[in-house]
Amino acid sequence: MAETTGGDLGEGPDDGAAGKARLGNRRLAQWSRDYVRLPGIPDEFIAADGAPRPVWTRFLEAFAALSPVDIERRFGAADRHMREAGVSYRAPGESADQQWPLSHLPLLIDEAEWQQLSAGIAQRAQLLELVLRDLYGEGRLVADGAIPAAAIAGSSEYLRPVCGLKPPGGRYLNLYAADVGRGPDGRWWALGDRTQAPSGTGYALENRLVLSRVFASLYKSMNVERLAPFFEAFREALRASADRDEPRIGVLTPGAFSETYFEHATLARYLGFLLVEGDDLAVSDDRVYIRTVAGLKRVDVLLRRVDSNSLDPLELDAASRLGVPGLIDVLRKNGVVVANMPGSGVLEARALLGFLPSLSRRLLGEDLKMPHIATWWCGQKAAREEVLSRLDEFAIEGAYGRGVPGFDGRGPVLPGELSAAERDRLKAAITDRGIDFVGQELVRLSTTPVWDNGGITPRPFVLRVFAAATETGWTIMPGGFCRIAERPDARAVSMGDGARAADVWVVSDKAVTARTLLPGTVRIKRIAGVLPSRAADNLFWLGRYLERAEATLRLIRALGAQQRDPGRGAPNLVQTAERIQRLLVAWGAVSQTSRTQPSRVAAEALQAEAKFGSALSLLRTAQRTASSLRERLSPDAWQVITEMTARLAGEVEDDDGVVSAAELTLQELASFAGLAQENMNRAAGWRFLEMGRRIERAINTMRLARQFAYDEATGEDLDILLTLVDCQITYRSRYLVGPVLAPIRDLVVLDTYNPRSVAFQVEALNAHIASLPALVESGLIERPQRLAVAAQSSLTTSEAGRLDTKTLFSLEQDLLNLADAIGAHYFPHGPNASRPEKLTGLA
Amino acid sequence: MIYDVRHVTTYTYESAVSFARCALRLEPHDGDGQQLLSHAIEIRPRPATRTARRDFFGTRTESIIIEVPHRHLRIDSRSRVMMSRRAPGRSAPSPVWEDVRDRVLDATSLGPASPIGYVFASALVPLLAPVTAYAAASFSPGTGVLAGAVDLMHRIRTEFRYDPKATVISTPLNEVFEKRHGVCQDFAHVMIAGLRGLGLPAAYVSGYLRTVPPPGARRLEGADASHAWVSLWCGSELGWIGFDPTNDLLVENDHIILAVGRDFSDVSPVDGIIVGSPRQKLGVAVDVVLVE
Repeated sequence: MAETTGGDLGEGPDDGAAGKARLGNRRLAQWSRDYVRLPGIPDEFIAADGAPRPVWTRFLEAFAALSPVDIERRFGAADRHMREAGVSYRAPGESADQQWPLSHLPLLIDEAEWQQLSAGIAQRAQLLELVLRDLYGEGRLVADGAIPAAAIAGSSEYLRPVCGLKPPGGRYLNLYAADVGRGPDGRWWALGDRTQAPSGTGYALENRLVLSRVFASLYKSMNVERLAPFFEAFREALRASADRDEPRIGVLTPGAFSETYFEHATLARYLGFLLVEGDDLAVSDDRVYIRTVAGLKRVDVLLRRVDSNSLDPLELDAASRLGVPGLIDVLRKNGVVVANMPGSGVLEARALLGFLPSLSRRLLGEDLKMPHIATWWCGQKAAREEVLSRLDEFAIEGAYGRGVPGFDGRGPVLPGELSAAERDRLKAAITDRGIDFVGQELVRLSTTPVWDNGGITPRPFVLRVFAAATETGWTIMPGGFCRIAERPDARAVSMGDGARAADVWVVSDKAVTARTLLPGTVRIKRIAGVLPSRAADNLFWLGRYLERAEATLRLIRALGAQQRDPGRGAPNLVQTAERIQRLLVAWGAVSQTSRTQPSRVAAEALQAEAKFGSALSLLRTAQRTASSLRERLSPDAWQVITEMTARLAGEVEDDDGVVSAAELTLQELASFAGLAQENMNRAAGWRFLEMGRRIERAINTMRLARQFAYDEATGEDLDILLTLVDCQITYRSRYLVGPVLAPIRDLVVLDTYNPRSVAFQVEALNAHIASLPALVESGLIERPQRLAVAAQSSLTTSEAGRLDTKTLFSLEQDLLNLADAIGAHYFPHGPNASRPEKLTGLA
Repeated sequence: MIYDVRHVTTYTYESAVSFARCALRLEPHDGDGQQLLSHAIEIRPRPATRTARRDFFGTRTESIIIEVPHRHLRIDSRSRVMMSRRAPGRSAPSPVWEDVRDRVLDATSLGPASPIGYVFASALVPLLAPVTAYAAASFSPGTGVLAGAVDLMHRIRTEFRYDPKATVISTPLNEVFEKRHGVCQDFAHVMIAGLRGLGLPAAYVSGYLRTVPPPGARRLEGADASHAWVSLWCGSELGWIGFDPTNDLLVENDHIILAVGRDFSDVSPVDGIIVGSPRQKLGVAVDVVLVE
C-alpha cells in the first residue's frame, strides 16, 4: 500500500526508535497546528486556556507514533468489522439495515472528571426514581404544587392504568440514561433524560469491541475503564429483582423491524437473556409465560425495548400488536418485573426540566450536582412571556414528546430561521396553548477530534451516559454512547442526521484491575435456557429455505452445464432439459420453460427478483429469517449468509457465469452447513435447523426421484438424477453398468448409507423428533413422531424393484404431511398460526 | 325517576374461539345525580375467571377469561338506576371561557375528576387546527363557557349528518370532521377535540338514553344502542356539565351515565382479545324502560 497521507511527514530514511518518535512528534505537532477550534465553543482536546488536555496528549502521542500506513490499515480493519458483524441500525421509515458509522477516534475523558460527571448522573437517576414513586403513588408533589399537574398530564407516557400500582421488583427505573454535553462554561450539562427504555448500551459494547481491537496495545497502556463490570452489575440487579432464584429474563423487542433490533439481539446475547417478542409471550394465572417448544415457561423479568403504550392492547394502545394482552394486570398481581416500569417515560417530558432543581432540594435535600439546559415551560405565564419576548434566542420544542405540535419534523424549531408567517403561527400557537411548548436556551456544545483526511478536526458531539440501579446504588457505565455531528452545528445531532458514533474511554492514572468473577457457586449447565417457539419456527424455516436454495441451484447448474454439452441437441437430452425446466416452474423459480433457450431459463431461475422460488429470492428469504435469529447465530454464520446473498445478486455475464455463480453459491451453502454442524450446540435450536434441512431435502429428493426415475425414465434422465443428488461417484463405484432404474431408485430413495437419500433424511428426522420434549401428557405418541415412524418403516420395508411412480408420489405426500405436522405441533403460535384478534365494533 | 336498563352484547364467530380475555365496563356510574340500585351481568359461555376492580376513572371493570371453545359469546347486563340530576338552563350564567381555561392550570391533582386530564390529545382525539378553529367560532372573547358550548353543540347537531352507516369505530376524527357525518361517538369526539383545542377540559361519556320518549317528545337518536356525549368542566362552581351534541341537549334525566373517560377507548363497554376466529359479527341491543 502506498503512503496515503502525511506529505512531508512520511517515514524518513532513518527508522530507528528515536527516528520513529521524532516523526511521531512531528505528526502530532502538525495535527495540533491544523486543529482549529470553532470560535466560542469549548473543545475536548484543547482546554479553554489553549493548552491540550493531558489525557488527549497521552493518546495522540501514542497514536502519532503509528505510521500513516499503519493507521489506515487499522481503520480499514475497524470498518470491515463493523460491516461484517452487521452492526446496523435502521433509519425510521426504511426497511434496509444501514451500517453503523464508527468514528475512528474514541472520546477521551479523564477519570477525575468522570467521577464528577458520574456523581451528577447518579444523583439525577435517584431523583427521578423518587419523583416517579410519588407521581404514581401518593401524588404529593402535584398536590403541593411542586410539579404542575399539566406538566405530567400532557405526557402520553403518564399511564393511568399504572397509577397506584406498586412496581414489582420495587423500582421504576432499572436503567437510566442522560444525554450530556460540555457547555460553554466548561462544565458537563444534562440535555435530556431517558427513562423509558434507553437505547445505546449495546452499540457502546460493539464500539468498544472494535476500537479495543484497533488500538489493542494503546487500549491496554491507557488504563481504560472496562465496560464488563457494569453489565455484570446490571444483570445481577435484574436477577435480584425477580422473586425466585435463577429467574428467566427476556429482552422484549418490537421485532426485526425495529430500528435498534441489532442492539436488542446484541444485548440478549451478551447478557444471556432470551430475545422475545410480544407474540412469544402469554399471560396465564397472573404470570407471564414464554411459548417454547417444550410448552409454556414462566418469565420473571422483561427488559423492555417496547414503548409503554404498546405493552398491553387491553389496557393501553388497543391497536398495538407488539405487546402482551393482560400484562398490566400481571403487574397489578406482582407477577412479573418489567424494566423499566411502564409509565416511567413520563419523566422524559421537557416541561419538567425547570422543576428539577427545587425537587432535588425537596426530595434529596441537596442541590443538583449537574446543571441542565435552561428550559422555560410555556404553560406558566411568566415563562411564556419570557419566551415570546425573546423568541429568536430560543429553540422551541414540544413540552412532552418529540417534535413541536403543528410543525413537521422531530427536532426543535428555531424561530430565527422561520419565515415571517411561520414565525407568527408559532407565536400564536404558544400564546393559545402554551402548555404544549418549551423554549430552550440555544446551546453550542463542545467539540471533539475526529479523524478526517489524515488529520484531526473538531466536531460537536452528544454523550449518552448510562446508570443501572443495583442493590448498592447507581452504577454508572464508565464510557457511553457518543454521537458526533457531521456538521459543525451542535444542534443537528440525531441518529437520522448522518451522525457517527464513537467509543468513549474513561482514562485512569492507575492501572485498571481485571475484575474477578462474582463470588458464589455457579450451577453447571449444558443447555442454555429454553427455545421459544418462534425461534424454533424460524430455525426450521431457515433450514428449509437454504436446502430449497441448494436444490434449485443444483437444477440450475445441471441445466446450464447441459447446454455446454456438445451433444445437447439429442432428443433425449432435450427432454431431460425440459423436465428440469418444468420442475423449476413448479418451484416458482421461473415463469415458463423454453425449448430454444434453456440457458435463459437457468439465468432467470438464478436471479429473478420477482420469482419467489428463484435462488436469489430463496436466499433473501433465508437472510430475512436469519435476521430474526441474530442472537442465536454466530457472527460467522450471519456473515456467510449475507455475503453469499450479496454475491449472488451481483451481475452475471453469460451462460458460463450462471453455472459458476451457482457453483460458488453451492460451496457457500456447504460452508454454512459446516458451520452449523461444527459450531452449534446440540440443543433444541440446532435440531430444528437440522429438521428443516432434512425434511426439505427428503421432499426435494423424492420429487427429483419421481421426476427423473419414473417408470419409463431414459438413461439421460437417470444420469441427470445422479448428478442432481450428488451420487454419480457412489453409483459408479458400486455398479459397472450405465444408469439402471432399480439400483438408482434404491440408492436415491431407500439406501440409508447414502447421506443424500430420502431414507437417510427420514432416519435423521426420527432421531431428532425422539429427542424433543413431549408436549402431550396423555402418553400417546405425538403426531409428528407417528408420521415420521410410519414414513421410516415404509421406506425400510420397500424394495427398489417394486417401487413405481405411484408409490413414489404417495411417499412424497407422506413427507409433506410430516412437514405440516411438525409446524402445527411445535409452532402453534408461529407467524403462520392463528394469533389473538381484537374484538371489534362498537359494543 | 327509575330506569331498568338492559344491554345485551353478542359476538358470533365464523370458527370456534378457543380463548377469550375481555374487559367489561358495563356497570352504570353511581353518583353525579344518579344512583345505582342494582346491577348484574350474565355471560355465556360461563367464564373460567371473573375479577372486578375500579379503573383509573372509577369505572367498575370486570376482567373475564373464557377457556372453552365457543362460536357465540353473549354478555347480558341488567341495571336499575334512579335519576335526580339537575341541569342548568341553556342560557344560565357562567364564567367567561378564557377564565375557565386559565383556571384549569391551577389543578393540583391528576385524579379522574381533575380537569387537567382532559385538555390534551388522547388516543382517539387528536388536536387538529381546523377542528379548533371550528370550535373557536362559538367562543368569541368574553363568551360564557356554557353559552359557547351550547352554541358549539347546536352547530354540530345542525351541520353534521347523523348516519350510522358512514363511520366505524376506527374512522379517524379528521375524516368525520371533513365529511361532516357520523354517529354519537363521532360527534362527541369532534366536540371534545374542539373544546380541548381551545384549552377547555372535555371528557367523553358513554351511557344510555331512555328508549321511549315522554309523551309528546320526539324519539332521541341513539336510543337503541349505547350512547355517547360530552362532559365539560365549566369552572369550580358549575363543575362538570353534560352536552349531547347528537341531540343538541343539555344532559339531565334522560341520560344514564355508564362511564367517563378521555375518549371511547377509555370507556369501551366490551373490549378484549380472542384466539381463533378473525371473522366476527357483533350484535348490540339496548333497552331502557322507565319504571316509575
